[in-house]
Amino acid sequence: MIIYEGDLMREIEIDAQSKTPREINRAIRDMSQEYDRIILKNPDAKHYLAAGLTNDVELVIEGSAGYFVGTMAHNARIKINGNAGWFPADNMTEGEVIVEGSAGDGVGQGIYGGTVVVRRDVGSRTGEIMKNGTVIIGGNSGFMTGIFMMGGRIIILGDLAEDAGESIIRGAIYVLGKIKSLGKNAKIEEIDEEDKKELKELLPSYGFELDDSKYDNFRKIVPRSKRPFYGQDSEEG
Amino acid sequence: MCGIAGVVYKDKKLHPVGSDMTKMLNALQHRGPDSAGFSLYGGLGLEDNEYLLNIEVKERPGLIESVKEIVEFVSPIKSEELIPSVENFSIYRCKISLNEFSQLKPLIMDIDKLEDVMVLNGSHSFEMIKDVGSVLEIADRYDTWSKMGTHAIGHTRFSTESLVDRYHAHPFQTYIIPDITVVHNGQITNYWKIRDPLERKGHIFETNNDTECIVHYVADKLENGYSLEEALEQSVKDMDGPFSYIIGTPNGVGIAKDQLGLRPGVMSENDDVFAIASEEVSLREVMDTQNVEQISPGEVRVYEI
Repeated sequence: MIIYEGDLMREIEIDAQSKTPREINRAIRDMSQEYDRIILKNPDAKHYLAAGLTNDVELVIEGSAGYFVGTMAHNARIKINGNAGWFPADNMTEGEVIVEGSAGDGVGQGIYGGTVVVRRDVGSRTGEIMKNGTVIIGGNSGFMTGIFMMGGRIIILGDLAEDAGESIIRGAIYVLGKIKSLGKNAKIEEIDEEDKKELKELLPSYGFELDDSKYDNFRKIVPRSKRPFYGQDSEEG
Repeated sequence: MCGIAGVVYKDKKLHPVGSDMTKMLNALQHRGPDSAGFSLYGGLGLEDNEYLLNIEVKERPGLIESVKEIVEFVSPIKSEELIPSVENFSIYRCKISLNEFSQLKPLIMDIDKLEDVMVLNGSHSFEMIKDVGSVLEIADRYDTWSKMGTHAIGHTRFSTESLVDRYHAHPFQTYIIPDITVVHNGQITNYWKIRDPLERKGHIFETNNDTECIVHYVADKLENGYSLEEALEQSVKDMDGPFSYIIGTPNGVGIAKDQLGLRPGVMSENDDVFAIASEEVSLREVMDTQNVEQISPGEVRVYEI
């Protein structure tokens, strides 16, 4: 365990090697009460890292994380200098999970708030049942992105695979690349000036620098109806 | 859950594949504690007509002699080895020679008629090691650490349907054509629909395990002129359920994933190695790369040397 105490920030390193996920998470939780930044070395793509981390702390994972990294996190800022497995930031309520590499299925599954960023490609079902918050994918996103999405926004800078926005209820999926096909209850809209302004403010703040003209190429996937399962073609009420 | 892994060395030379696959599977141990298994290809160095039999034998006086008697009726025993296992069983391994590959399955069926005896497999170009227990226990029991080869597939099992024993451990093998094996994570929910036409063609099923069904299905396609890639692509269309599985052949490995992508699969490659597994943690045992690709729903990847 190495401790750095600068004038403004208290930082500590935890070596995850030969520790179980429970032991690692206990150490992260304990240290997060005293330190501003925690560096996790040798994560070895272990599962459940930073599960339930609810302190206002910066956690830097120096390597890849396995399944459910940052699940149920609240307030923490988690950066993964590697890849992530399935369900990064699952059910997060507030805070950030930033993956510098690629990630598996279910990125940002069920989040209630906060921001999830993956720099490269991700697997299927990105933003599944998310209620609010933001998911940004720097590369392509797979099959059924935004399935049962109930709120928030997903931004995809690459392409979308089949059935994008499957059974989407609320929220929006912004896409810069191609859309292979739409899922049930999904439709494409052109973005408006308000959308463009929002994207221009958001994307550079996470290191995605796009030419101004690129913002015109975004399209938006939104629900056809808010109540698609009651036999109504158009929105009720 | 189950963990699956496959590795191919692109230069076609012999590498410490047993050690590498042991590490890959140990990294997936959390996905399945019941049993583990390996198909290690390319390192046996058998003559054209030679085969290696792996036979589970209960520790009972005279039983191994009975096994040998059946084997020697068909072939001389060129070498033999007895490896102690658990629960009063040992693995009797012997090298034999046959005039035709078609003699292998009937010989296995004859041996299987003995009580407390079960042939785990018979192979020419790969070595199958599978047993109950943890990956490291099995690795030490069979000294997988020292095995050389060109490519391999492996499995850690979390049983969901059939028995927990070394016979139901993966890999599963078929005898429709030589040396095709499979490891599998998932369930084939239209199992009987797949099995029925294969049985009508005369293919013999030894278990009710859906993984056995996959290996017969793929071998049947290969026998009928499909490439490995074509066979796997067709399987994705024909098979229902959540699955990802890896096939091993004398020439390489291939992975297939169900159309809804309900079971994991990742891959990575560099100039030297092609590797696939359930999780990145396993790939990292054989290569240091940031470039990990997700196998997409319905996708097939094959690497042949």
